[in-house]
Amino acid sequence: MIKRCLSLAFVAFNLSTIGYAQTQTHKSLALELEEVARVATVMVDGDVCQRIMTERALKKLFVVDPEDQWAGSDNFDVNAEPFIQTKKTLMRLAKLRPYPIDCNLWMLFKENPRKIQILIRNQYEMSRFWTWGVLYQDIPPEMAEVLASGKPKTVVGKNDLISVLTPVYNSLGEIVGLVEVVSRAQMNWQENVK
Amino acid sequence: MSFWKSMIFRSGHFMQVLALLPLFSTATHPFSPQDQAVQLEVSSEYSRPDPFGAIVEADLGKNEKRANDGDLNTIQLRAARNGYISFHLTAKLPQDGPYSLSVNFQKESGIQVDLLKTWFHLRRADKKYYPDALIPITNPYKAAIPDSENSIPGQTAQAFWVDVWIPRETAPGVYEGDATLQSGSKRSSLKIQLQVSQAVIPEDDALIVDHNSYGTSWLAQLYPKLSRAQGEAFFRSDAVFGLIHAYHRLFYEHRGAFHQLGYGHAGKVGPEFAPALTGTGREKRIASWELFDRHYAPLLDGSAFAQTRRGARPIPFAYLPINPEWPASFLAWGEPGYEAEFVNVVSEMERHFRAKGWTRTKFEMFFNHKKRYKGFHWDGDETRFPKDDTPFLEFNRLLKKAVPAGSPVQFVYRLDASWRLEDQFKSLAGVVNFWVCSSTILSWLPEQLKSVRQRGDIVWTYSGPPAINEPSSAILENPLRAWMWNTDGYVHWLTVGPSADPWFNSEGEATCLAYPGERFGIAGPIPSIRLKIQRNFLQDISLLKALEKTHSPDFLRSEVSKRVNGTKPGDWWNPRPALANLPPEEWNNPGIEQAVASNRHHYQDWNPQYWQAVHQYILKLAEGSQPQ
Repeated sequence: MIKRCLSLAFVAFNLSTIGYAQTQTHKSLALELEEVARVATVMVDGDVCQRIMTERALKKLFVVDPEDQWAGSDNFDVNAEPFIQTKKTLMRLAKLRPYPIDCNLWMLFKENPRKIQILIRNQYEMSRFWTWGVLYQDIPPEMAEVLASGKPKTVVGKNDLISVLTPVYNSLGEIVGLVEVVSRAQMNWQENVK
Repeated sequence: MSFWKSMIFRSGHFMQVLALLPLFSTATHPFSPQDQAVQLEVSSEYSRPDPFGAIVEADLGKNEKRANDGDLNTIQLRAARNGYISFHLTAKLPQDGPYSLSVNFQKESGIQVDLLKTWFHLRRADKKYYPDALIPITNPYKAAIPDSENSIPGQTAQAFWVDVWIPRETAPGVYEGDATLQSGSKRSSLKIQLQVSQAVIPEDDALIVDHNSYGTSWLAQLYPKLSRAQGEAFFRSDAVFGLIHAYHRLFYEHRGAFHQLGYGHAGKVGPEFAPALTGTGREKRIASWELFDRHYAPLLDGSAFAQTRRGARPIPFAYLPINPEWPASFLAWGEPGYEAEFVNVVSEMERHFRAKGWTRTKFEMFFNHKKRYKGFHWDGDETRFPKDDTPFLEFNRLLKKAVPAGSPVQFVYRLDASWRLEDQFKSLAGVVNFWVCSSTILSWLPEQLKSVRQRGDIVWTYSGPPAINEPSSAILENPLRAWMWNTDGYVHWLTVGPSADPWFNSEGEATCLAYPGERFGIAGPIPSIRLKIQRNFLQDISLLKALEKTHSPDFLRSEVSKRVNGTKPGDWWNPRPALANLPPEEWNNPGIEQAVASNRHHYQDWNPQYWQAVHQYILKLAEGSQPQ
């Protein structure tokens, strides 16, 4: 009986924490996400991230074949070990706050410096920058700013999503990508269930 | 599953003219000769009327014009019991004005008539009107031409779909009815003679035709009034579950199944698709079944279908919410905690389903995610790389650990496969037992299919519906091929996704077989002509299954194939291409298309009315005669 009561209390806690972000102002939410982003830059290993995509997939990614428009997608592939290692780090970072946060990994390409790809997404499937389904895209101005300055940037605006972009460094001190720490004031549980 | 890989089979043109349904000896019957002012015309289910009184061009065979044989004023029908027979009626008025239409049989016959008004969709690409959505209406029905809602400049005709339902207990014999169009003092009538056969369409579906969908967000988009009325509570409201059940009912009534996938490519689960969880690691368990049971209980005990003509029956299949992020958090992937979380929760699910008696539905552990959507490191759907088999094996181990051997609850392991279908038939033998296959790839694997079916696995194929501008009978091609191949089912990958404006700016509706009824004051989906034609075909397939008691399946397939397009069953398969001997990582899409090109002519130039001859053949066979 005691166990049952405790578990009910746990459910109540979970439901309340899910709603926590919804009780915050954008400003206070942004401040908390910025703190997560600060830790992300420290914890996410850019060298490991650079090993996620397979060489073969990278070669096929930018090939334009008018007769096979899906060639890039069909050949998309990752190396399991660095992917899993990085994804777990991102998931742990998202647990720094008791409400839904996604930490998405965005990676640059040596082969195409004007493009960027989201390479790891997470369970709430939030991003204010990803065009759903695309393999890679032009670097948004906000990201370009972070890549140039090395300083995190908080982006607030459409869809009530709040994102903090923070750089990812490799062992040479190069910025190789970004983490997008994202949450929203009003969770949409049905969005992107597809 | 994905659509493109089977598109090459759906070139959808016409073949040589085959024998038309004898009882519809022409495509149309004329209006009553007594009164030339208003006209009521009939056409076969495959001859879709347009808003100007003609038949849609795609439904005419080569060099075929709408026939008119002058004197006929009787609709002659012949049908099996426990099923529908259908036709189009077209009301034509010489000038704009009001009219009424009624279709009746003798009340004591028990025969029931459903009258549905046809919507003419203006297609963006060619600016032509195509009939498809069917709006249930009263019988008799009063309206005017032009239709105020459809807003078609110069409209002179309004089409209707007529479903005649013949209950199982109807005595064989001839039944009389009539269809009457009245406009002012002018009137046009058609007699209906329905020959009810002693044949009975079996209750069970011989071929599962599934209608797939994703999540529930589309319900808010398609039912904005209902959604707004419920506000933020919409997705937890009775209204949303009522809508979901209404979609299930619609497809069930049309002898099909309905699937809703409840999670995204990175593992986000819609709360209405899964029990709520609590805790982590060893303490992870189910906290609440509330939303899950409101969603699924009426579907799994069959009560959602109690008021249908087919009666209450549990749904045959349902996706589980299991994915790499649910019920176990991917954070523990590869660690003991992942197994603990998975086994705890899935075991609880098994116990819940067993306690509820939900033992007639097959619960699918199915992975829909693809690497390209960046959620996980392996492809759960349409696996291309051999290394990705490893997680499938791990999930099989976990499922076996969670579900006790001998459980009456049916958990099945589903895989949607294309590139590596042939390999995975072997590498995942005894692991996956429900295969949803690319028609294209399966087309060169007839022997492998036999082996897989012999070991008791379920096999479906997948593709998508034809657009409304294709011939009416194009909807039959994929299910027919699934039957010719002796598979268990076929799935349309998306069937509830209309264009942004399907009514006045249609993009073809190739992802929609059920339209939202809200603009017509209906809090649920309305059917389409394509769905109706598919249902009538599935009735025939069920009759064919029953005929296997007295005729060999090979004989039946030979006879059907001959009548469809003059082919033999072997012609429905592709020869094994050289490409199949290369590793699938080396294939590309043009190469696959080229690999099956040599056989494509078998699927081209089919006469739009082709199934009528097959239907008549099946009916005669079911009546015990030996048709030629």
